[in-house]
Amino acid sequence: MLDILIRNGRIVDGTGIPAYHGDLGIEGGRLRQVGGHLNVDARHMVDAGGHVVAPGFIDPHTHFDAQLLWDGQARPALEHGVTTVVHGNCSLSLAPLKAAHRPRLVRMFQQIEEMPDAAFDGAFEWTWEAFDAYVDALRGRLSLNVAPLAGHSPLRMWVMGEEAQGRAATPDETRAMQQLLRECLEAGAIGLSTSYVDFDENMRPVPSRYAHAEELDALCSVLGDFGRMLQVVPEFYSTDITIARIDQLAELSLAHGIPTTFSPLFDSVTMPANVSRVLDRVAEQFARGARVWPQVQTRPIDISFSFEVASLFFVTQPMWYMILRLPREQRLAAFRDAATRKSLIDAVEAGGSSPWGELRVRDSADASLIGRTLGDIAEERGGSPAAVMIDLSVEEDFGVHFLSASMGHDDPSRVGPTLANDLVHVGASDAGAHIQSFATYGDTGYLFDRFVRDGRYLSLEHAVRKITSETAQIWGIPDRGLLKPGAAADVVVFDPETIGRGAELPVTDMPENGMRYVRDASGIDAVIVNGEVAWSAADGYTEATSGNVVLP
Amino acid sequence: MASPETTETAIVDAVVSPGHDGQAVLVVRLRHENGVVDAVTLDAVTAEKVLEACNADSPDALRGQPWTRLLAVMDD
Repeated sequence: MLDILIRNGRIVDGTGIPAYHGDLGIEGGRLRQVGGHLNVDARHMVDAGGHVVAPGFIDPHTHFDAQLLWDGQARPALEHGVTTVVHGNCSLSLAPLKAAHRPRLVRMFQQIEEMPDAAFDGAFEWTWEAFDAYVDALRGRLSLNVAPLAGHSPLRMWVMGEEAQGRAATPDETRAMQQLLRECLEAGAIGLSTSYVDFDENMRPVPSRYAHAEELDALCSVLGDFGRMLQVVPEFYSTDITIARIDQLAELSLAHGIPTTFSPLFDSVTMPANVSRVLDRVAEQFARGARVWPQVQTRPIDISFSFEVASLFFVTQPMWYMILRLPREQRLAAFRDAATRKSLIDAVEAGGSSPWGELRVRDSADASLIGRTLGDIAEERGGSPAAVMIDLSVEEDFGVHFLSASMGHDDPSRVGPTLANDLVHVGASDAGAHIQSFATYGDTGYLFDRFVRDGRYLSLEHAVRKITSETAQIWGIPDRGLLKPGAAADVVVFDPETIGRGAELPVTDMPENGMRYVRDASGIDAVIVNGEVAWSAADGYTEATSGNVVLP
Repeated sequence: MASPETTETAIVDAVVSPGHDGQAVLVVRLRHENGVVDAVTLDAVTAEKVLEACNADSPDALRGQPWTRLLAVMDD
């Protein structure tokens, strides 16, 4: 008897071959049979109803490091069909980490990934210092699979203490870091992450940025012993420097036989040649035999802001920008002043038009306003969108947040072909980070919605391959990403006609009722992890804790 | 024989753009002495310092400013 029998599926097996109709049998956490008609009993039956049956999606760039300790389902990633996540990106991981260094690292997480205090304070018990103990803390509570990276910054802190954030490592310290990394890899780390751009809360470069090239080379030699990944955040603000990093990564890849990946890489009208120039250099390095995978996200980039800080959104409106840079009380007084308010509105509407009508309220104490456009609210209240922006901000003591949606990486005719490029690694979701600014979930649904169903830049089979087997191969994740007999039974069933990313919603499901933005799944029927149903549209999340660490 | 004309690297223009973290950034394009145009992305704090250093009240006022002013702020 099978554990699960999925009948009447349109099987997209992750290899990229055309879809075919058939059944899928699961037993003991493994795929027993894929395709054909199975006339056997099963403890659990799933009628796919002709919908797609595919390998579970793999998200290679997340920051679920802390969330997984109180939420082994990594909500809402799982309900979007994600069955494996890589976390510990961007030089930051929660292990290896000495107890004395916890506050310092937590502040970095809060600064860089915009994670709230409550995510680290009281939401879980710090039971580990070494990487293997962190992995042990995760085991048994996971509903999806994890592939944790060891962060270069905590690695340096462990060995160098306070001086990790101030100087290069000595040869002895480098050797100590090598040994520490080796222990992480032996405990199941999928690789090492590092960053060349991030700052801590005091605007000091994070520890990884103090490493000299020799130190990274030494660490990569350890990665080479295991064939594991180096993940890098390059200086993405400059195409030229990013290209220089690509060359550096290529040399490390060739010297040590390791895969490397970097992110973010995104399209913008202000840097129109960025993606093409970067991909040209990536192609050159692949031709040499190096593996340097650029990660490209599927979703467009929004700008979010409030009157609490002076966003560059206002930099083209000098009067607004000047007032927003005033000390808080003076700022509030200026916006409350009737004459100043009128001057600000007049400045925006100088050309006779009323811009900003398409801006949306992202967060407000008045839930009925969230998601509405300023134009819509202005029509209801009277006045202009600019007036509404001021009035709402003053009424809520600057607590209202606004959204200018799809400001970059938003042209499907440019992003679509990029995602379809054989040398592009679809990823960079940042899931679990920036949670109070925007939702980082549902990028996989968006891929099918915008670039398969609408744009037809990728076939269904190609898109599935991109976020399943291709990701598994790039990262060296064994046994996943394909529907084939004997493989781990990570499966997602979805409707190709309706799969999407859902609407962005503010929720208060973080520890201590903390707020974050999420997106509910759309078009996903069921998600199976290691042979157990972890989520279904009919029943929601289950009690399954069948997730695991993908490397032993 | 006349030598090629050279001019100091200068700011071509500056445009507000979204950063990957959802914050607005300022993309400053520079024209180098050899004619190549490249862009540098500034976060809000750095952009504000650059505007102040250039005595500019808007991105448009950065046009033509020497890149050394940008460099001085970024090296600060």
